[in-house]
Amino acid sequence: MGTSDAALVRRVRAGDTDAYADLVARYRDRLGRYALHMLGNREDAEEALQDAFVRAYRSLARCEDPERFGAWLYGILVNRCRTTGARVARRARRFVHDPAALETTSLPGPADQTEWDDVVRWALARLAPESREAFLLKHVEELEYEDIAQLTGAGVSALKMRVKRAREQLQAILREAEHV
Amino acid sequence: MFDQFDDAVERVVRHLRRPVSIDPALDQRVMQKIAALPPPSRGVWRWLTARREVALSPLGALGIAAAVAAAFIGVWRMRVTPPPASAPDSALHGFQFVLVEPRAVKVSLVGDFNDWDATRTPMHRTSRDGLWSAVVSLQPGRYRYAFLIDGRHWLADPAAPTAGDDDYGAPSSVVTVGGGGS
Repeated sequence: MGTSDAALVRRVRAGDTDAYADLVARYRDRLGRYALHMLGNREDAEEALQDAFVRAYRSLARCEDPERFGAWLYGILVNRCRTTGARVARRARRFVHDPAALETTSLPGPADQTEWDDVVRWALARLAPESREAFLLKHVEELEYEDIAQLTGAGVSALKMRVKRAREQLQAILREAEHV
Repeated sequence: MFDQFDDAVERVVRHLRRPVSIDPALDQRVMQKIAALPPPSRGVWRWLTARREVALSPLGALGIAAAVAAAFIGVWRMRVTPPPASAPDSALHGFQFVLVEPRAVKVSLVGDFNDWDATRTPMHRTSRDGLWSAVVSLQPGRYRYAFLIDGRHWLADPAAPTAGDDDYGAPSSVVTVGGGGS
């Protein structure tokens, strides 16, 4: 069995910077999946992920429960993805939840989708950011609503509504894309 | 879990749950960045967030409430010394943070620029009226900060914008240092 998160956090706090590399390697892919699906492209995802790791290191003293380092790090990443997503939206790229903008976006249309992966990314990108966030945390990362509420600051009822809305929108989008 | 869940949406979920591989070079980039940072310090944050039991009489509680209210009323902040107009973007700018807190025995400025370490930027009392001041050299950028009163009261600047992207729940303020001013 490997070294626990708490033990690694204690080593980093004691000055063993190299121990942080183990935490980064441990969480890189796991958190990277969320960032990639949330932001829709690898470049932005890696930027948000890198920023989250650096911020977590700088604030490691404020991690109250080292046993739950992963959950704490998740919260930081969710915030970084929101920030990056907002910046991406300001650049008027694909994740603007604006029907008019979507009409003129450079995203490939359903008729051009030959790969299921493209279809999924296309469908996710059409969800409102808060719906996409809730949907991914609940159904892909498989977190409990109470944990998602802590990460996002939203109430459980609001989160359930967002997830429900995301499911309905995905159904409609996929039906529209004639992949259903 | 997928009550009335459309098969296609379930298929999307299965697809999204597949493991993702992020470039391991990211680890090196992270470690290079943190190599330039001071090691995370636990002392101040542990003290600030430690659970304490305090016994108070009703009169004592009223007194403390009045003192806290007076402190907030008496506190305001800061005018920052603008940087020279001709300073290049990468130049350090001397920022003066000012706080009026007549009741404080000591005040520290903590923020992103000093790794939230209360020992690194003590503020100095500059007048009998309780004016506290500290000058910090900052490169252009966005910084979160707060005041630490008497080593125990965490105070976001009521006269400055609240940091909306605080990741950790503690209130803090934000100042943006531009190449040509704040």
